Amino acid sequence: MNFEDRYLQARTRRHFFRDCGIGVGKMALASMLARDGFAAGTTVSAGAMKSLHHPARIDHVIYLFQCGGPSQLELFDYKPELTKYHQKPAPEALMKGKRFAFMDTFSKEPPKLLGQTRQFKQHGKSGKWLSELLPHLGGVADDLTFFQGVATDNFNHGPAKLFMNTGSVRTGRPSIGAWVTYGIGTQSQDLPGFVVMQSGPRGPRSGAALWASGFLPTSYQGVPFRSTGDPILDLSNPAGVSADQQRQTIDVLRDLNSMQLQHTGDPEISTRISQYEMAFKMQSSGPELIDFSKESKETLDMYGVKPGEASFASNCLLARRLVERGTRFVQLYHADWDHHDDLTKPLANVAGEIDRPTAALIKDLKQRGLLDRTLVIWSGEFGRTPMGEVREAGKIGRNHHIDAYTMFMAGGGLKPGTSVGATDDLGFNPAEAPIHVHDIQATILHMLGIDHTKLTFKSQGRDFRLTDVSGHVVKTALA
Amino acid sequence: MNRTALALVVYSMVAAASAQTPDAAFYESTIRPILRTNCLACHTDKTLTSGLSLESRESILRGGNRGLAIDKDKPKASLLLEAIRQTGDAPKMPPGRKLTEEQIAVLEKWIAADLPMPAPTQPSKRRGADHWAFQAPKKIAPPVVALTAWPKNQIDYFILAKLEAAKLKPAPEASRETLLRRASLDLVGLPPTVDETAEFLADTRPDAYDRAVDRLLASQHYGERWGRHWLDLARYADSDGYTIDAPREIWKYRDWVIKAVNDDQPFDQFVIDQYAGDLRPNPTNEQLIATGFHRNTPSNFEGGIDFEQYRVEAVADRVATTGAVFLGLTVGCARCHDHKYDPISQREFYQLFAFLNNVDEVDKEADRNRFNKPFLEFGTPEEIAKKGANTAQVRLLEGEIENYKLTLTQLSEDEKKKDLGLHERLEGLRLLRARSPNIVSTMIMRELETPRAAYIHLGGDFLRKGAPVEPGALGVLNSLPPVPANGSRRTRLDLANWLVDRSNPLTARVTVNRMWQRYFGKGIVETDSDFGTQGDKPSHRDLLDWLAVEFMDRGWSQKAIHRLIVTSAAYRQSSLARPDAAAVDPDNKLLARQERLRLDAEIVRDASLTAAGLFHPAVGGPSVYPPQPAGVYQVTQVRREWKTSKGGDRFRRGMYTFFQRSAPHPSLIVFDAPDATVTCTRRVRSNTPLQALTQLNDETTKELAEAMSDRMIKQAGDAARLRQGFLMAVNRAPRADESERLLRYLAAQRDSAKPGDAAAGEKLAWASVARVLLNLDEFLTRE
Repeated sequence: MNFEDRYLQARTRRHFFRDCGIGVGKMALASMLARDGFAAGTTVSAGAMKSLHHPARIDHVIYLFQCGGPSQLELFDYKPELTKYHQKPAPEALMKGKRFAFMDTFSKEPPKLLGQTRQFKQHGKSGKWLSELLPHLGGVADDLTFFQGVATDNFNHGPAKLFMNTGSVRTGRPSIGAWVTYGIGTQSQDLPGFVVMQSGPRGPRSGAALWASGFLPTSYQGVPFRSTGDPILDLSNPAGVSADQQRQTIDVLRDLNSMQLQHTGDPEISTRISQYEMAFKMQSSGPELIDFSKESKETLDMYGVKPGEASFASNCLLARRLVERGTRFVQLYHADWDHHDDLTKPLANVAGEIDRPTAALIKDLKQRGLLDRTLVIWSGEFGRTPMGEVREAGKIGRNHHIDAYTMFMAGGGLKPGTSVGATDDLGFNPAEAPIHVHDIQATILHMLGIDHTKLTFKSQGRDFRLTDVSGHVVKTALA
Repeated sequence: MNRTALALVVYSMVAAASAQTPDAAFYESTIRPILRTNCLACHTDKTLTSGLSLESRESILRGGNRGLAIDKDKPKASLLLEAIRQTGDAPKMPPGRKLTEEQIAVLEKWIAADLPMPAPTQPSKRRGADHWAFQAPKKIAPPVVALTAWPKNQIDYFILAKLEAAKLKPAPEASRETLLRRASLDLVGLPPTVDETAEFLADTRPDAYDRAVDRLLASQHYGERWGRHWLDLARYADSDGYTIDAPREIWKYRDWVIKAVNDDQPFDQFVIDQYAGDLRPNPTNEQLIATGFHRNTPSNFEGGIDFEQYRVEAVADRVATTGAVFLGLTVGCARCHDHKYDPISQREFYQLFAFLNNVDEVDKEADRNRFNKPFLEFGTPEEIAKKGANTAQVRLLEGEIENYKLTLTQLSEDEKKKDLGLHERLEGLRLLRARSPNIVSTMIMRELETPRAAYIHLGGDFLRKGAPVEPGALGVLNSLPPVPANGSRRTRLDLANWLVDRSNPLTARVTVNRMWQRYFGKGIVETDSDFGTQGDKPSHRDLLDWLAVEFMDRGWSQKAIHRLIVTSAAYRQSSLARPDAAAVDPDNKLLARQERLRLDAEIVRDASLTAAGLFHPAVGGPSVYPPQPAGVYQVTQVRREWKTSKGGDRFRRGMYTFFQRSAPHPSLIVFDAPDATVTCTRRVRSNTPLQALTQLNDETTKELAEAMSDRMIKQAGDAARLRQGFLMAVNRAPRADESERLLRYLAAQRDSAKPGDAAAGEKLAWASVARVLLNLDEFLTRE
């Protein structure tokens, strides 16, 4: 064993993590872009976990985050009783102790129940009720697993998004994608392990905090891909520098840095050499990733991708391509579902934007055999109230509701064509044991082979984890 | 069973006990056994579960986190009795079982008789109270060493003694070039210029290095470098954070920090100004600006929020920050429950909270339009009033326009053609901005005349209010002066004085440890914000204590400590690897050599600007907008405009780059600048491909490499040009193998040049070389 290897071994992993100040480069090397240590035939260790806590059901996550709080009552949660009591005051017993956003304006007079404004019908063998806004998803209903009566802790967009992503309503904690890549690394050698994309009229509230690494090393934060130009900032060579020149530059840097490594004996320099090499690889893998020219017309049509146009559809296709190339965690943000004052056209529009691409993504993954090892998640930060909200005469919408919303997943290891959890007849509260956001997070980690109580990181004296001090795996959803 | 019957049963069963009048003997014979068997496992002075101790009469009367345990007016309605009767809302005690009716009855009787019990023989010590960090530091004489020629000051005796004990020799001194570059990067955050290096190498006087250190400590850039370290702790940013993330004006605070550090304001006064400058008698504007420290918490102005929730978050953050920054304690752990390891109770967390709870800031929807008030504003009263009105209107209009744009995406083409008032609003916004008086303001602290009531928040939930609390400190540390006899409350000023009182065992230690950490990559206590029982033990405890006392003895002068450290032999060692030392001390805790440390994010930029000769030295002022790649703001909720600065502002230090919390400048984040949401006492140093892409391909590198090329080309001949480039980038001449390799690279670049304009081709070839130099590991590292 040479000196350098011995030296590396002596600096134990525990030291790197607690320390956070020195040697992080080695971890970054190992997990930002290195091979998955758990895949067969590979030897390089990846994440902080020495081995999986239990066998993984999936390897990848595609998280389709729906910003603004989609109305489960116009999409997934069929409630004929609610429609029956349309315009009746919300029962006092149900309202007692509840807190809502816009407390002062929303509750000026007792709010009235609002019947469902959309037609529902049953789909597939599972007979899942879905609204007319989701015809394409109806076609894959038997591949979906619905979680109903999901509860979160905060009724404002920014904090609730933070809660879904980091398990805390305050900024400064690591996001789920950071936890996952920290724990188990990634399989991609030349693309980031955690990628974030955005579509719709605006970015998500709270911004970078939603894909932050918090107190984990910064190399685990999500890398935002841009919808126009280079997907990654500074991916292209500077103007006037050819591919050959770039290669020559990487080579001369490798040689000069190697001389400095000889001179100083600092292993951090060998990490830097590798990182420049990986950067160079990314410069070709990035453009290849976003080049749809080899996708068939059927595929493009299935997603509804229009060449040259940034959209949720093209992001869904990019997500599939990332997963094919080994990226561990892909997160798409799509705005905007915040329908306080109008459930007609604005809602139909955004539902139309996501329906076809989401269904296409599931079909596409399935036909390529990728759905077995991929978890697709579709969720907002909360749902909307069974009561109507009137902000403008003649129009009606729904307020934020945090006690009983709906989300769905699809992918390996889940029971397809089922629903877990349920809501009461008015869609007010969970009818069964509520499924809390921390339970959802525990379940996602579980599927990746991670025990949510064991993946921890010490910061300011406390062992933190994604699920804080709670969370139970939703076992009823698992195959 | 009716009351009489119950009484009879009780009487018959515990007749002997009940017959006794409750007194101390009754306590010993009857009460103590019940408490010992059922309650004292959790409720002692040491354990204090839920803040309640049943060990002494005094502690029982004090109550717990949920409030008073005993209701003196209605003893039968006492919370303690409710808990053991297991009837009301109180937690059912003891957990999982229930006392017998007769046990409850005698406890009732004892409580009704006003809890007679003997006074404790000696107050029991809190668990962990004897931990080393809670004892005041003592100045211990430096130890005796064998290699007496090595030490340059007292620090070195402490370091050398431990090295000798491990049979290690210190490393040789670093080369003079390295030494100057190291001290320059550490003290002012800029590499030396070519001239500064030449001057230093030509200075053969024995005190040449000390003179260089004096020059650096006197530089105005010293305040920027060490001020920036402080701004990490202060979570300083130029926008609100959370959802809307609107720009905010608080750069005057950043400038105040720079000036205070440059003036070497005594650290105790530096802290007091920031905590409570507004509560000093007749505060100066400077003292008011300093209170921006705790106004740097993010503010949430999303529609539909409960403002009180986010105000409470901000106050809790201030408490946690106080713990981490000054006390090096994880006080934040006690927000939801008593600290699991350290003697910090949840009650004490909220006592600290009570100090910081009375800041005048928005706590209800009706005050939304006050936004980040109060400000200190520099202008005439008319200008101030007009600016205030304009700013509020601008924010409201921005919100409307944002909503409008959102709606637009959902309209049909016909509907889109209708203007719906957009034009009018945009015009209004333009006019409001144009007419807004150009005066500067900055966010400050102001105390409410009537303090807010403070409570223990059960489980950390702001809606679950437990026992009321008064301002107070941590019992295990130095005590606060008694509450003034005139009945007035303790204030933030008392808290500030307590933090920097000489009897506080932590503040000086934590502060010098953090200075040490910046110079050696890790502190003497490696867990720099956890000096508690779970933190690391100091590698050199006597040195830490010596430095802490020295710091206070020298009037809390930070410059004095900096000078001591950077002139020590320990600091001046070479950072080259030492296999012999690594074999016994792999983490280099004993400091048998210096460390190689990657430059901080801002310093990567500053060093690049300096190497290119484009560095603009202006200190302070509004934040600036250097070029940033397009598309950074694609991910923010409110689309912001990045108006790239022109002229000198394009080349200002990285610390002046406008910091938008939801989308910070990518070059800062890529190189591990903190996200400014919570305090950061120690940065991560990562090493990633995104850093490579930034430093290789960004427009900034191209611009700077071309400027470097111009300066290299002024030299005659390739060798001289290359030498000049090395001097500019890494302050040393190239070694032979390096020259040979780079000249080969240069030749290849010349070959790739397009035929035609030879001068332009030559410039580009040298710009390529410059780009290589700006990407060397050595360039990015403090050796």
